[in-house]
Amino acid sequence: MEPIFEALPGLEVPVDGIGRSLARMWAEEAAGGRPAPEAEDAKATQVNFVLHLGFNTDAADAARQFATVLRFAQRYPCRVVGLCPRDSDAGGPPLRAKVYGECFLGRTRADKRCVEFVMLSYDRRARAQLEDQVSICLSTDLPLYYWAHRFADSGRLADYRFLLGQAKRVILDSAGSPADAMRYPWPNPAAIRDLAYCRLLSVRQSVGQFLAAYAPAALTEGLSGVEVRHGPAWRAEGGVLAKWVGERLAACGWAAGAGEVEVRERLAAGLDLSLRFRYAQELKAFSWSGDLAAGQALFRADFGLGRTELTSGVALLAPEVALSEAMFF
Amino acid sequence: MADSGRHPFLQGLSKHRGAPPTVVVIFGASGDLTARKLLPAVYNLSHDNLLPADFHLVGFGRKVMADLEFRAVAEAAVKEFSRREPEPAVWARVAARTSYVAGGYDEPAAFQRLAVQLAEMERQLGRDLQRIFYVSTPPSVFAPIIEQLGACGLAAVHRDTPLHSKVIIEKPYGKDLASALALNAAIRGVFAEHQVYRIDHYLGKETVQDLLVQRFANAIFEPLWNRNFIASVQITVAEEVGVGLRGGYYEQSGCLRDMLQNHTMQLLALTAMEPPGSLAPEAIRDEKVKVLNAIQPLAVGPGGDVARAQYAAGMVAGRPVPGYLEEEGIASASATETYAALRLSINNWRWQGVPFYLRSGKRLARRVSEIAVNFRRPPGTLFAGEAARFDLSANTLSFQIQPDEGLSLILNTKIPGLETRTQPVKMSFRYATTFGSNTAEAYERLVLDAIIGDGTLFIRGDETEASWRRCTPVLDSWRAAGREGMDTYPAGSWGPASADALLAGAQHRWRQP
Repeated sequence: MEPIFEALPGLEVPVDGIGRSLARMWAEEAAGGRPAPEAEDAKATQVNFVLHLGFNTDAADAARQFATVLRFAQRYPCRVVGLCPRDSDAGGPPLRAKVYGECFLGRTRADKRCVEFVMLSYDRRARAQLEDQVSICLSTDLPLYYWAHRFADSGRLADYRFLLGQAKRVILDSAGSPADAMRYPWPNPAAIRDLAYCRLLSVRQSVGQFLAAYAPAALTEGLSGVEVRHGPAWRAEGGVLAKWVGERLAACGWAAGAGEVEVRERLAAGLDLSLRFRYAQELKAFSWSGDLAAGQALFRADFGLGRTELTSGVALLAPEVALSEAMFF
Repeated sequence: MADSGRHPFLQGLSKHRGAPPTVVVIFGASGDLTARKLLPAVYNLSHDNLLPADFHLVGFGRKVMADLEFRAVAEAAVKEFSRREPEPAVWARVAARTSYVAGGYDEPAAFQRLAVQLAEMERQLGRDLQRIFYVSTPPSVFAPIIEQLGACGLAAVHRDTPLHSKVIIEKPYGKDLASALALNAAIRGVFAEHQVYRIDHYLGKETVQDLLVQRFANAIFEPLWNRNFIASVQITVAEEVGVGLRGGYYEQSGCLRDMLQNHTMQLLALTAMEPPGSLAPEAIRDEKVKVLNAIQPLAVGPGGDVARAQYAAGMVAGRPVPGYLEEEGIASASATETYAALRLSINNWRWQGVPFYLRSGKRLARRVSEIAVNFRRPPGTLFAGEAARFDLSANTLSFQIQPDEGLSLILNTKIPGLETRTQPVKMSFRYATTFGSNTAEAYERLVLDAIIGDGTLFIRGDETEASWRRCTPVLDSWRAAGREGMDTYPAGSWGPASADALLAGAQHRWRQP
């Protein structure tokens, strides 16, 4: 059984006929009156995208990530290669392939974007062929982006160094990666992006905009500690928020040793994330708390200019938007 | 790094995600532009979480309205004109901080009420707000509004701080050089230039912004971007619509004022300017002014550099339409042009001898705005003499600004077969195909740019003056001539014969984009 590979949509094709199969697939789509690219250039591929579904991915999760990439590709058409590794003892041929294509129609006739997926299922016997096989599935001269999703063991990433080394960005999610993922000796550490950090963009922006209206010294003077709390489903986001706030406060001049940023998994009902600055001065205060389900957040602050209480919208970025944030920004 | 000068809590965020606490006051709150563009822009910015949590909107107008009534009017406008279906929760957030002040544009007491209301917002909020005054009114009240903003002290609030007040002004910036100078003087009497944001919505269009990227981020274009390789440049801003119900306004304006002096001149400036030293707003504006100042005076009269015309009755999209003089509100002896074309010479090292042809008109064959760069033909050593076999075109790089935003390049290629025959082919890039068409509207970008204090896509006072300096003598000459020399063209065509004559001497022809 290859549950990940089976769970993904598409048509299984001979590994030596992927290109021909894609052409035939589009011809059949067009013949059936469904949207299809009229020519190669109508695919308007901008990037090569490798979706690596690691050993910790189950079938339902694979289908979810596939759908995320599909939504992403509506905005940023790409050539997608899905990598579905399997254990050697699972049996079957060492390398199998599936193709899938879809065109999205927009508001105008010209607004048609098409995306192609090639999914490869392989075991360790196929490792020697994998590099060549992936290279002929990618679109020449376009940048490569690599999403390593739920891989089980950072050590086994060495098998993919040929891709990781040339990727413009390598995308992980600290919510589902091994604990040592961020310390792994990546070929290009500057290319690593954490989806949990990207998902938090609107929180970082909202909190950042609010606090940027005050002088850095006003934020750090008398600051004795910071507390980040998160609900059980938001452990990775809580960690990312705490790290970000700590770095920003340090940049504001908060001296190391003046206090700590604590992360706690306990929160009042109806809240998913919260942030509180503790001050030595009794009247000085800052807190932010967010209810992600309701899309509402509340600021409370007093930095000596009067008490401010402000509601705002809050939402984590949708998965496909977080992906584009990780890739392009 | 550009980030280093920012507040630590904004570092790492895009500059467009760093908007400070802001209140936008719209003068002309019940006007058409406010409904069609500004309110939808505010809604969509809020939808995309690009506005600060403490964003406030105040409508200011002559009509007496309660806050609730203005919110209802604004909501209806967003529902009708937003590019997105409004989400109630998002609109509720905007509406909760939307209010209205009624008053005359020259009424000191009304401006005092506005000042008190804004100060009260700050007091309730417990922190300072940046004030942005968006003047979206007829030009006749630009100066009174600016004057009142100065008199009541609103222009000076938070001066010399990052939250200093700003004023956004819609076109037209004057009707000739003298009035533009007077308007700029009135503005500068109250606001410093860095507080002033003159809008030309063309600059907010993706393709116009892409022009700078295409020119300066691709090594293949800039080495060719000069008189050695470029034969001519054509800039077209064509409208399919007629004057419609705007006859009264249009009679006072005409095509040269309405389109060429502003939009088309800005497109020319971006096409022809030298590479700026940086992407800083002033660096780009400095280069635009230099190239506008290098445009030579235009010869008017027979054989000159200008053509003007009015549309006559014709067919548009298969239906008959009346001529300009038959339109509602148009004088039967009107001398207002609905079409204008200019042949410009730029006297600098890069462009000497390269004509820039600009044209704009109403009731043309189709709605299209584009910049077409026509390259010189290669030396005819290989393919000369056998025109039947070798169908060769000059290479043309065209930037389609609207509709079908994108760019295309005409190349010559071999027709497959045993014999060598050639044919021009078109290589195209379309924004909608690559990125989708539901992108931010120009006003969203421009309003947000003003909020974050980025003036790159706005016009500086000296740019408007440089442009008027070239256009005003033409307008004076046309006014003096009345209808003499006014050509006509059938509605639905590509313009008058007199415009063709501007290109004939150089054996160039207008494109039919």
